[in-house]
Amino acid sequence: MNKIDTFSAHSLKILEKNLDEFKDKFIYNLSLFKKDDRAVLGQKFHALICYYINNFDVDKMINSLDEKEKIVWQNLEKILKDERKYFIHTEYPFLIKEDLDGWNYYLTGRFDAIYKKDDFYIIYDWKTLNLPKNPSYDLQSVVYMYCASKIFNTKNIKMRYLSLEKLDIVEVDYLNDEKYKERIEKIIQKLFQED
Amino acid sequence: MLINAPNITNRTKILQDEYYKLLQDGVNAQDILVLVQNSKKKKEFIDAIKQKSPLGSIGNLKIYSFSGLIYNYILENWAIIENSIKKGEAKIIPNMCGLEVSQKILKEVIREVDFSGYNSKTSLLHQLFRRNSLINFNNLSDEEVKKRTEILCESYSNEAREAINKYKLKSIELRAFDYVRQVNLFEFLYKKQENKFKYVFLDDGDEITPALFAYLNHIKPTVKEFYIGYDTFGSSRLGYLGAINIDFEAFLDTKAKELFEENDKIKNAKKILENVRNDKEIEFSNIKTKSFLKRNEMIEDGLSNIKNLINNGIKPNEIAIITPNSDDFLKLILEKSGFNFNFLTKNEKLNQNKLIGYILELLKIINDKDNQDISPYILKGIFIELLNLDKKQTIKIIQEYKLERDFKNSNIFDVIKNKDISEFQKLIEVYEKIRFEKLSTQLFEIVSNFVKIEREISKDIIKINQLLKQIYDFEEVFGSSVSNLELIVQLENTIISENPLSDDEMDDNSIVVSSAQKIIDYSYNVKYQFLLDVNSENWLKQDIGPLYNAWVMQKSWNKDTFELEDNIELTKDRTARTLYKLYLLADEIYLYSSVYDSLGQENLGGIDKYYKYQNSSEKKEAKPIIPRPDQQAVLDYKGGLMSVSATAGSGKTTIMLLLVDKILSGEILDNIESKNIFVLTFMESAARNFRERIKAKYPDLSELPNISTIHGLALRIIKDNNNYAKLNLDYDFEIVDEIKRNAILNEIVYALGIGADKTELYSSAISAYKNELAMDNNYICSNRLFLNVYQAYEQKLKEQNLIDYDDLLLYSLRLLRENKDILEYYQNIAKIIIEDEAQDSSYIQQNLIMLLGGKYKNIIRCGDINQAITSTFTNSDVKGFREFMKNSYNVEMDRCQRCATGVLDCANSVVAWAKEEKIDAFSNLIMKPVEHVNIVDKNAVSRAVFENEIEESNEIIKDIKNIFKNEKEATVAILLRSNFAINKWAKLLEDNSIKTYKNSESLINNPVYRICLLILEFISNPFELKIVKEIARELFELGYYDFNSVKYANSLNEPIFLRDDYDEQFYWDMTYFLFKNHYSVYDLVYEIGSFYFSSGANKDNISLVATIAQKIMNTQRNFENTVLRLREIQFKNNFSNIKFFQNDDTAQKRSKVQIMTLHKSKGDEFDYVFIPELTKENLCFSVNDYKLKENSKFIQKIKKEPKTELELKTEIVEENYRLIYVGITRAKKKLLLSTAKNYKYFGRIKPIEESEIFEGLK
Repeated sequence: MNKIDTFSAHSLKILEKNLDEFKDKFIYNLSLFKKDDRAVLGQKFHALICYYINNFDVDKMINSLDEKEKIVWQNLEKILKDERKYFIHTEYPFLIKEDLDGWNYYLTGRFDAIYKKDDFYIIYDWKTLNLPKNPSYDLQSVVYMYCASKIFNTKNIKMRYLSLEKLDIVEVDYLNDEKYKERIEKIIQKLFQED
Repeated sequence: MLINAPNITNRTKILQDEYYKLLQDGVNAQDILVLVQNSKKKKEFIDAIKQKSPLGSIGNLKIYSFSGLIYNYILENWAIIENSIKKGEAKIIPNMCGLEVSQKILKEVIREVDFSGYNSKTSLLHQLFRRNSLINFNNLSDEEVKKRTEILCESYSNEAREAINKYKLKSIELRAFDYVRQVNLFEFLYKKQENKFKYVFLDDGDEITPALFAYLNHIKPTVKEFYIGYDTFGSSRLGYLGAINIDFEAFLDTKAKELFEENDKIKNAKKILENVRNDKEIEFSNIKTKSFLKRNEMIEDGLSNIKNLINNGIKPNEIAIITPNSDDFLKLILEKSGFNFNFLTKNEKLNQNKLIGYILELLKIINDKDNQDISPYILKGIFIELLNLDKKQTIKIIQEYKLERDFKNSNIFDVIKNKDISEFQKLIEVYEKIRFEKLSTQLFEIVSNFVKIEREISKDIIKINQLLKQIYDFEEVFGSSVSNLELIVQLENTIISENPLSDDEMDDNSIVVSSAQKIIDYSYNVKYQFLLDVNSENWLKQDIGPLYNAWVMQKSWNKDTFELEDNIELTKDRTARTLYKLYLLADEIYLYSSVYDSLGQENLGGIDKYYKYQNSSEKKEAKPIIPRPDQQAVLDYKGGLMSVSATAGSGKTTIMLLLVDKILSGEILDNIESKNIFVLTFMESAARNFRERIKAKYPDLSELPNISTIHGLALRIIKDNNNYAKLNLDYDFEIVDEIKRNAILNEIVYALGIGADKTELYSSAISAYKNELAMDNNYICSNRLFLNVYQAYEQKLKEQNLIDYDDLLLYSLRLLRENKDILEYYQNIAKIIIEDEAQDSSYIQQNLIMLLGGKYKNIIRCGDINQAITSTFTNSDVKGFREFMKNSYNVEMDRCQRCATGVLDCANSVVAWAKEEKIDAFSNLIMKPVEHVNIVDKNAVSRAVFENEIEESNEIIKDIKNIFKNEKEATVAILLRSNFAINKWAKLLEDNSIKTYKNSESLINNPVYRICLLILEFISNPFELKIVKEIARELFELGYYDFNSVKYANSLNEPIFLRDDYDEQFYWDMTYFLFKNHYSVYDLVYEIGSFYFSSGANKDNISLVATIAQKIMNTQRNFENTVLRLREIQFKNNFSNIKFFQNDDTAQKRSKVQIMTLHKSKGDEFDYVFIPELTKENLCFSVNDYKLKENSKFIQKIKKEPKTELELKTEIVEENYRLIYVGITRAKKKLLLSTAKNYKYFGRIKPIEESEIFEGLK
């Protein structure tokens, strides 16, 4: 089992749910590659937002969107427009080293965007449709906030989920370092319990 | 910082330490670019940094593989590119596709470019791809490409440029960029942008492309510091994937730190490099050599060696098998061994994977509206393997389907929908749900519904995911313009070996099987390397074709010409680098070679020449032969031109072997190696025999002398050093076989309204015409009709990248005549040439020999004018040999130790008779017996003229019965004038309970072919009882089953698979094959073959039969038709020029009568010989009486200097004298020459004049 020592929010979610499913997916690579329309749409908007925040000219690309997508974009642009200058990173990868009773493990992932204003950080995450039902408890929030606090050395952090299609927004406040770590490690320990 | 060291040193570790130091000094990770060769090395670098780092954030690492940097750079900055494109629909994310998509784009583009008159159209796609890759990776400007076009004297560079430009435009329009195309975008982007990296790390710097180096050069002014690790002796990808040898010291203006410390391994590796470059042999105690005759012997020995290692505690992942020939054959043998193997070279077609194969077939059925042409064999596989249906039930339903399809036009869904079987209901449900969906959705649903996704098939899932990715790519780029069915066909045939390396799964329990390049790319370090097929030319394959040349297209090429010498030197240098790097990656190396490859073709030589072969066993001394004085004269040869007239039965082959032995031992000429000796035989079987005898004598000789037919030699000249590119041929040209040639000619003859019976005539005429062209390249035949046929034929060959046997000779001659460097190359090698059967040598052959031997002029031509019997139907030119005899030192081997004295007298009297008749058929050679050896029997020959043919045959039958009564083991032959009498005589004898032995050259006479075909027929028709019976009988005769199996099979009154006869071995075996589903026909035939044949030539022939079946399958694309076709061609001598290994069937020939033509009997001998039907019509000995056939006259019309009718008649009559002479000299003990006065012709008895031989012969 010492092969896997690096976890993402997604893989932890699966490990929390079911150990066998985790193994199938992340050790034996048994999941089928699926690229449905929603996923494609998500990728498209992720890229578009990224170009926009980085001040690339996106007019030509916007023109290529269909009518429904154009409306989504117009709404999104309203939200982003004035705040554009506060985004410091997009598609920002992270890698955090942790210790669990003498064993090192790593947390990894990619923030969609980081917003910084007055020493306060907001981690943005674009969701295609639905937002997490219980965002404070959601593992993504747990992992992202925990990691962001390590990277930016602060607890002045929020996580903000934004639904592209519905344009709903939910925010999660930073809770507690220890609790986050505890939650993550409780899941990881499932791997050892079996051994 | 600059470190020059092999990557087995701590070079990479130093770089990692330096990187970590920067991080510790507070440098932001995102300011440091790290470039490593591939994703495996990327992972290793990241892992190392992870290990070193303290707890907390490690940072935003910018560690990329060479191609990964380009990929990510484009994605991040795509908007810039999109905004500069004028055409096509804008895309928010470009299609970063695989090469498969580009293939499709290029394929369409090629249609618009007129490559008229171009030879290698079948591989045009491949050539343009390679050209484009080389131009891109080498970062060549238009000007630089133009320059290279001139150096290479390319005739189709304009067309190539046009095609590539169109392709580029199209790829922009579609926003579809494979990893080669991405290089262009990358260059465009980085030139527009400011560099963000302050520090740059580069490992394996010797393997980067000029394109990547151009980037580093571009950002150099803004980079604070470079950290580069490289190996001056590396660059194993030179001249292949566009690597260059970069002077990094000049680049950074600093001296490199060198880590070539006095480590034995590195010292030895450098020695390897030096030795290869200087043509010196490598000899180290940790390199062991082994050489074999057959490839399967080689692989099996390797496996047993591996088994020993594993038994002694070596782990599988400490062993690597390295070969450029990782083919089906190797895979099947390895898989049978029970060990796990991990094949790294991914050049397999998708449908070679069984699971994917059946899934794709099911998808075809779903997307094919008519569904009328489904192969029942495939359906069986789908039902059993995917739907998990009961096997017996499956076969019954499929039979039902066959009937309903044929009589009611029903499709498969009509048949299964009324069955109360849950699997079928599920299939129909899924079918209804997905039939109008995109292919990706269909594939996803099929796999989700019918494949049990479990850990055992994780490797299959990886492949399915690759397939899904490819389909998504296609759908994204082409939308609905490509139908699902088209897409499946396109995908199932894609072989993509050029895509960048992906993460290969390295499991600890497997032995890696890989190409050398991949082992090097991955720095895959093991204890034991097994280098297989080391004498295969594929080890040295250069990347050269008509439209690409990886040497000249190197960025650094600065010469104005490209000579053969350049090619050889550069290849040697690259090989040196490869062997150097390989050596560093192992503790012990085993080198394995075999004379033959798995198709029985001779390996032409590879890296074996660089190693010293150890003598594991002493040279095997056979019983010493004491030559007779007439033979000794041959062995006393001291160099120069020598002709040997060797009479029939004079022991010529034995003496030639002794001669080669003597030459090899250095007794005749100085400084002679195997490669300097050329032996030319008339038949391939003779060449094989010769090789096998030399190999038996010198078991450790890895490189045998060049022993081949003239066609084999010609092929070698065309293939060596990519000479074919000079002929505008690409590497995959094929030699047309008889079946295909006839099919092509038939089509032409039919289209031109010439009678279909003329195919054979035109075939001979074309051959004769090409022989004329060899003499005079400008000659144009004046016969319009013939020219039309000829031109149409040539066109067809070109279209299919085929050449014929005459082209082989013509092209090789042309290469030598028109290219001084090629001629010199061979003249330097060919220190001595020995030709057998020189009397049958053609004008071209003699020219080739004289050209090759032009420098050393050591040429021995051995033959017997008296046995020249092929000139009337081939291009053989006996006059040439006569001339040679005049101008050379002539030795006569006039002792015949074969025939009884009476037979000798008879043969000599034919010579005397010809002289009397003033027929110039013979030399003055008179055969003499060897004292105490030949049987003394003055009455050995009888002549008889019977009243009618029945009397004649009765007498012969009576004689034969008597012979076998007294001498059970005798060999007996009936020699006939023509082929069509063979069956008549065979029937006559068999009706009289005399066993016959037919000529063993037709495919069906090979037991492996016969058994495999029968079992395939059984699988194709499991309801046919008579096939099963025949299988039992055949296998009983081969000694596989006992007679009870035959009885059991004969007693069956229902299909065998419906029964439950668990006590019957035969039942088990037949149902095993019926229920076993091999998607690949190769695998199926291989399994049947290796089940029944485990030794000798039969075992060697299994892969040949499997290849024939697979080749047919590739064109027929349907199992049932393949089986029918295999039956159709059963009487052909070969398919696709694949020649079976011959069994030593001497034992089988005893107590049987061998029936063959006089021509065929040459080279053979029998105790008793009968030559019946010697009528004047069959064998005419008088020029005046001979009636010339129209066909013979026609062939003359093709020639530049046609012979007169008299000349032609004289030639034929001369040859008739020699033909009977050959027939007579086959007999060891007794000979009967006979004829009858009346023969039956078309049902009527007709008086026929007897041959003059009965009167003329004294």
